[in-house]
Formats: sequence, structure tokens, C-alpha cells
Amino acid sequence: MTDKNNKIPFNEDNYTHNINRNNERKLDRRGFMKTLVGAAGVFAVSSLPWGVLAAKELNGLGDKKYPKHKITDEKSLPIGDAVDFAFPGEHDSAILIRLSEKKYVAYQNACTHLRCPVFWKKDEGEMLCPCHHGKFDVNTGEPIAGPPRRPLPEIHVKVENGAVYAVGVKRYEA
Amino acid sequence: MKRSYLPVAFLLAVLMLNLIFTQYMVHQYFYEHYTNTIIAAVINVILFPVAFLIYKKGVNVHD
Repeated sequence: MTDKNNKIPFNEDNYTHNINRNNERKLDRRGFMKTLVGAAGVFAVSSLPWGVLAAKELNGLGDKKYPKHKITDEKSLPIGDAVDFAFPGEHDSAILIRLSEKKYVAYQNACTHLRCPVFWKKDEGEMLCPCHHGKFDVNTGEPIAGPPRRPLPEIHVKVENGAVYAVGVKRYEA
Repeated sequence: MKRSYLPVAFLLAVLMLNLIFTQYMVHQYFYEHYTNTIIAAVINVILFPVAFLIYKKGVNVHD
């Protein structure tokens, strides 16, 4: 009886005799197929957000709707002149420029550099931010000089019954 | 019983289709062809149960 607790249970120098790890990492045919099915699953799951985004675009949810906003009457804005307004919110200052009889352009006039107001220089035919002399193309809103690198957000305008309305903001495209 | 590698080949084909449709889906999204994007996404989702069925058959019959 006294011997019982003093005996080494197995005639070996360690206790890992029953751990067999041979071929543990071998990828057999079944394991390989499992991996392939898993990969197909990953592809399926990663497709879902694209489908959702595409459905969202198709339903027009990406375009925000704003109530149309009267800017000015056609008569009170001579060709080549500009008028300031606010769209879509009351603090989103914007500028409407009449380029010709029928052509109006409107931009949110916070400079895309540091949000100084942008002014319409009639005699130079370009939009100028006086803070750091950023200049914008009046037809597209693209920056053409100075620190700004992004275009001014364009506002869609519509002429109805002799008045000019702001109807929406063009989506930002990087 | 001798193992069949036919299911493995099918699964590899499914994976290839997954790659093709994923790339097609992403490209069509950026070309703003959203209907095509949704079609490709649906095919990609359907390919997963297809792959699973191929796996089930391949494992039960031949292994």
C-alpha cells in the first residue's frame, strides 16, 4: 500500500504519450472542399452590401429631396449678374449667376478650402474667394486656381413662370 | 471506395464563377448599372448553396 503513491504511473519520461499529432495539419480532400464552400459563403455574404447599395440607388434613396425654393425673378437679375440666396438650409449660403438669357448656374458659395464666401467677378468671368485667392470655373464649379481642390457643390435650378427656383443639390462625386 | 475528385473540380468552378461575378458586380456598380449589380449579387448568393450541395453530395457518396 505504501508503494502506491510513490510509483510513476507510466514507464515513460513524459505524460504526452497519448497525444498523437501526426498529419494534424494535413489538408485532405474533404477539408479542401470545406474550405471551398466556406470561400463561396464569404463571397455570398460580401455581395450583400453591394446589392443593397445598388437597390438603394435604383430606388433613388441616394438623392435627397429638398422643397423647391424661389431665388429671384428673372426680370430683377440682368445677364452677367449674381444674387445670393440660401439653399437648402437657411445657413447654406449660395450664389446664383445668370450667364446668358437662358443659362443660370448656382453653387453653394462656401469655398471648399476654408469656407469663406465665394464672389462672382463679373469683369473677369470667374468666381473668386478673396481669403486666399481661390478661383472657380463659373460653368462647372471646378477649382482653377488657389488652394481649393474640390469643386463647389452645384445647385440645380429651374426657371418657371419668370422666376428662378432651386430644386436640388448635385451629388458629390469624388 | 475510390475517391472522386469531380466534386472538387465543380467546387473550384463555383469559386471561379464567384470571382467573375464579384468583379462584374463591383465594376457594374461603378458604371452605375445598378440592375446588373443586383443580378450579379443574387448569382453570387445562389452560388453558396450550390457549393454546399456539391460538397454534401461529394462527401456522402464517395467518402
